Amino acid sequence: MTYGNALQALADPTRRDIFERLGAGPRSVGELAAGLPVSRPAVSQHLRVLREAQLVAERREGTRNIYNVDPRGIEELRLYLDRHWGEVLRAFKKEAEATAKRRRDKK
Amino acid sequence: MNESTTGMAVRKEIVVEAPIEVAFEVFTRGIATWWPMATHSTSEARARNVTLEGRKGGRLYETDVDGKEFDWGEVTHWEPPNAVTFTWHLGRAPEIAQLVEVRFAAEGDGTRVELVHTGWERLGEEGVEMVKNYDSGWDFVLGRYVEGVAGR
Repeated sequence: MTYGNALQALADPTRRDIFERLGAGPRSVGELAAGLPVSRPAVSQHLRVLREAQLVAERREGTRNIYNVDPRGIEELRLYLDRHWGEVLRAFKKEAEATAKRRRDKK
Repeated sequence: MNESTTGMAVRKEIVVEAPIEVAFEVFTRGIATWWPMATHSTSEARARNVTLEGRKGGRLYETDVDGKEFDWGEVTHWEPPNAVTFTWHLGRAPEIAQLVEVRFAAEGDGTRVELVHTGWERLGEEGVEMVKNYDSGWDFVLGRYVEGVAGR
C-alpha cells in the first residue's frame, strides 16, 4: 500500500518492537539493544529509520542519546488514514450511486 | 463529507444517493467494482481483484495478476444491510490490531455511511502520555497536535 514513511517504518517487526518499547518511556540505544535479539548497530540503524519517519525523536543527555516517541509521526499516520478512507469512500459513493441509477432506470 | 476524530481514531461519514440495500451490497459484495486498486492495494499496478467474503470470519483479500493473494483483514461482524466490521492489517503489519467498522443508515432516499477506523489509540495515548511524563519540551508539539485534532 502507498502508506507514508511512518507506516513503512512500522512494517518491520523489529522496528515495531523498538517503537512499542519506546512507548513505555524514553530509552538509550544500549537499553533498547539489551532487550532485543539484535546488535546495537542494528538498533541504531532501526532508530535512524524511525527518526526519519518522525516516529522517534532523539536528545542528548550527558554522553548518551535518549530516544522517545515523537507525536508528529503518529499524527502523520492518522492524517494518512484519514486521506485514505476519504478517497476510498468517494470511490464507493460514485459506484453505489451509479448502481442505484442503473437499477432505477431498468424499472 | 463530514469528518471528526476522537483521539487517534479516524471517523468518516458520507451520504450516498442509493437505497441502503444497494449501498451495503456495493460496499461488500461489489467491493471490486469501486475499490481504488491502483493506489490503495499491496500490489498496486499488479493488483487484479479485491474480495470481501460476506459472513462472520470471512476474508478480505486482494488478488494480483498472478493469482497471489494478500490478506487485508477478516470480517468480525456481518449484519446486512446495516453494518460490517473487519480487521485491517495495514498492508504488512498484522500484529497491530486495527478495526474498521462501517455502518449504514437509511436517510431519505439515500444512505448515510459511517466508517470508523480504530487501533492507533494505544500508540497515540502512549506517545502523548510519555510526552507529558518525560519531556515538557514537547508541550508545544503536543499543543499543536491537540489543536489540529480539535480543529477538524
